Amino acid sequence: MRRGRDERVQRGAGVRRDAVAAMLLAAIPAVLAGCDAGPPREADGPAPPTAWGRRAAGPPPEAERPAVPEERRYGGTVVVAGRNDLLTMNPLAVTDRESLEHQLHLLFVPLVREGPDAEPLPGAAESWTVDPEGDRITFRLRDDLRWHDGEPVTARDVAFTWERAVDPAVPFANPAYFDAWEAVEVLDERTVRFTVRPRSHLLYGWMRTALLPEHLLDDVPPEELETHPFGTTAPVGNGPFRFVERVPGDRWTFEANPDFPDALGGRPFVDRYVYRQIPEDAVAAAELRAGEVDLWLDADPAAAARLAEDTTLAVTSFPAPEYAFIAWNTRRPALRDASVRRALTMAIDRAAIARVVRGAYGEIAAGPVGRWHPAFDTTWAALPFAPDSARARLDRAGWTDADGDGVREKDGRPLAIELLHTPREDWRNIAAIVQANLADVGVDVRSRALEQASLVPLVTGADRRFDAFLVAWSRDVMLDDRDMWACDRLGSPFQFTGWCRPELDAVLDSLQVVEDRKTLRRLVGRYEGMVEEAQPYTFLYETETVLARRRTLRGVRADARGALVTVGDWWLEPGARGRGVAASGRGD
Amino acid sequence: MARAGRTRARGGRLGPRRLTLLRYLGRRALQAVPLLLGIVTLIFVILHLAPGDPTAVWFNPNLPPEVMERMRVNMGLDQPLYIQYLRWVKAFLSGDFGYSYTQFRPVRDVIADALPNTLLLGGTSLLVIFGVGIALGAFQAVRQYGRADTWLTFVMLFLYSMPGFWLGLMLVLAVSSGVVPGLRLPISGMTSVDHALLGPLGKVADVAAHLVLPTIALGLASAAGVARYMRGEMLEVIRQDYVRTARAKGLPERTVILRHAMRNAMIPVVSLLGLYLPILFGGALVIEVVFSWPGMGRVMYDGILARDYPLVLASSFLFGLLVVVGNLVSDLLYAVVDPRIRYD
Repeated sequence: MRRGRDERVQRGAGVRRDAVAAMLLAAIPAVLAGCDAGPPREADGPAPPTAWGRRAAGPPPEAERPAVPEERRYGGTVVVAGRNDLLTMNPLAVTDRESLEHQLHLLFVPLVREGPDAEPLPGAAESWTVDPEGDRITFRLRDDLRWHDGEPVTARDVAFTWERAVDPAVPFANPAYFDAWEAVEVLDERTVRFTVRPRSHLLYGWMRTALLPEHLLDDVPPEELETHPFGTTAPVGNGPFRFVERVPGDRWTFEANPDFPDALGGRPFVDRYVYRQIPEDAVAAAELRAGEVDLWLDADPAAAARLAEDTTLAVTSFPAPEYAFIAWNTRRPALRDASVRRALTMAIDRAAIARVVRGAYGEIAAGPVGRWHPAFDTTWAALPFAPDSARARLDRAGWTDADGDGVREKDGRPLAIELLHTPREDWRNIAAIVQANLADVGVDVRSRALEQASLVPLVTGADRRFDAFLVAWSRDVMLDDRDMWACDRLGSPFQFTGWCRPELDAVLDSLQVVEDRKTLRRLVGRYEGMVEEAQPYTFLYETETVLARRRTLRGVRADARGALVTVGDWWLEPGARGRGVAASGRGD
Repeated sequence: MARAGRTRARGGRLGPRRLTLLRYLGRRALQAVPLLLGIVTLIFVILHLAPGDPTAVWFNPNLPPEVMERMRVNMGLDQPLYIQYLRWVKAFLSGDFGYSYTQFRPVRDVIADALPNTLLLGGTSLLVIFGVGIALGAFQAVRQYGRADTWLTFVMLFLYSMPGFWLGLMLVLAVSSGVVPGLRLPISGMTSVDHALLGPLGKVADVAAHLVLPTIALGLASAAGVARYMRGEMLEVIRQDYVRTARAKGLPERTVILRHAMRNAMIPVVSLLGLYLPILFGGALVIEVVFSWPGMGRVMYDGILARDYPLVLASSFLFGLLVVVGNLVSDLLYAVVDPRIRYD
């Protein structure tokens, strides 16, 4: 179902289509040739709308905060709290979002940096060119970028990173990033050339994978790279912050890199960055209030409203590439009929679910491509919550409550569904709402909580022993969803539902090779349309990541790339630099 | 008179007693080997019998099946169970606990980082448990049925029935919201972010300050239990003839209570010390999460959730070892505080 440009669409995207079209055109040459100029330092103030509508969380109005000239912003230790430990700083071993963000924005600068709309920006490579045939891409590296041990970042590092990423002995979690990259050739110290095949978001892998220092890791056997101490106790990066210390299960400490090139942002304002793992939300909130923590990453939405009342704190949010859904097993006779599945979706109050689980920080998910995605079709909307329509659809599909027991039957079999989920409190709440909603339309839902390790074999195994299950996962700008829907992958672990359409397969295949963003958006629209029609999933909600910070921490701006995207520009008001005084002072 | 006789008897049997002790320790150590092997074998079987494997943690379509398979191969999960078991036992016996799948580090390193922190927290908690428990229990017994005894009984029962995590959260909220004016204590972590910049004494004071709240949360409920136990023992002891005799001799009441009554009442209480070790280890699992204390409790908690087999097996082994050692310490303390007990 499509809808007009209502208020939510305006808030969610706020982008005129002609502006989008202009950006589409602008984005293509940006891929073909990088530019030399580094982005200017971002100033405090409302976040500008991004051309692709990826909503950014700018700071709240800070006009009342004291203005401090740039040269007086240096110093202090910023303390950031997160629920989980950072597990590794090894770019090829990382599987968790927190570690990845710290790699991409603190410890390393990748070959190509990701712009607000997933467009490539110069990183370790100051420029790149694509041959007219489009099958070779040549990167020219900066000459002023060094590893933190003083060695220059060279073309050999780039080639080495790629070689390890595609090595079957290395369990790199995102092989799709480099599946179109076929061969590498180091032309000189600063120039490296790759042979490539056509691929949408060709450079995206380099935006999301930091470089490895060849001079430190060349003699490590590929199968041992994942567990090498480089990732856990002795990482050496090339980014704006240098590794100082790790206390496992407690914190990571980084310090400003005074030699970080000005063109890439220069030396960060803060002297030290400390990431602390605080697993208990109530404690993290208390530490934030007490001033022991400056920023709480991914704050608890339930606590956010109370924190926002504190005048010393600011609470903002930004869209996370994550959605929650119920997957229906269409191999089950009762769930084979698309009109039944549509009725189930329309009977579930997804707005209530989003509200209960995410408070003000969630929206009904429209489909498999979220609002955070640059190619999201902003005119798209979810199926409405309409229990009466759901009842009518179920009636038409032949499911009626003939015996008056409150549960519909067809051919003598009741419409009963077992809903699996993990024992998280959120899932229990959602299951209770789904159970109540579907009972209202005559569907008997029983929920069953299983540990993840027990649930996964049931839903991914060849015999798919489930009716429906509830889960959330994060997605990627590179839209390769073939494992979830393709007809030739019915045996794939993630083809839970057993639903497929050959015409969708063609769309999904095209999504892998289209480089033109306008076409990409059109294909995404078709993809969403087909999934919406068939409802193999009921999409529940998309999440917003909540950031809670002390107002004395300035310069924080986040968007779908993550919370740390402007970490080099963070600065502490002079009165809030009490910590780490002995270590502070301008390092430049 | 009785005391002198006991000293003489000890002096006369010192040589053979030490030999007997060594023989006893050796026998208990030998008994512990099959017990510990049995514990870890059982945990190995239970972990592997449960459906699914550690790759379920990475349940994400961004991770293609071939990468999952590579991870399984790297973890050795592609091998038959008995091969995995034999490999693990062989490595284990040579001191290699394997790699943690989730922490990308040798399990030995993970434990070496976390165990001292848990032992520190456990040690200070033991001091609280027995220091506070014995003192309060004795005090209550002396003031039996007095107002202080009644109130302390109420408070002790309240604390004893409180879950550790709830108590911990209440402490955090109380301290952070300034319920006690002027009281500023760290509410999470083991050191402050400035720790590295402090001098040696400053570092000790920093860790000590961070220890206060988790120690109270971990120790107070058990201290309440010890206090109840101590009170009962004291009430029994102060009615004994030798206490009456001590009073009849004209000894000050303080000496009677501290030297004659308390020392004897402590005999069964002190022997609880060994049994509290594993309880502390289990309690730390929750308290360490609440207070962000980087210890074994959190390592084990995360390991279990992620089915990190090597980490869980090694932690379980340590846990089993602690129970065995705790029992042994308990038995030894019995004999130390009560000479009537023999090792043979």
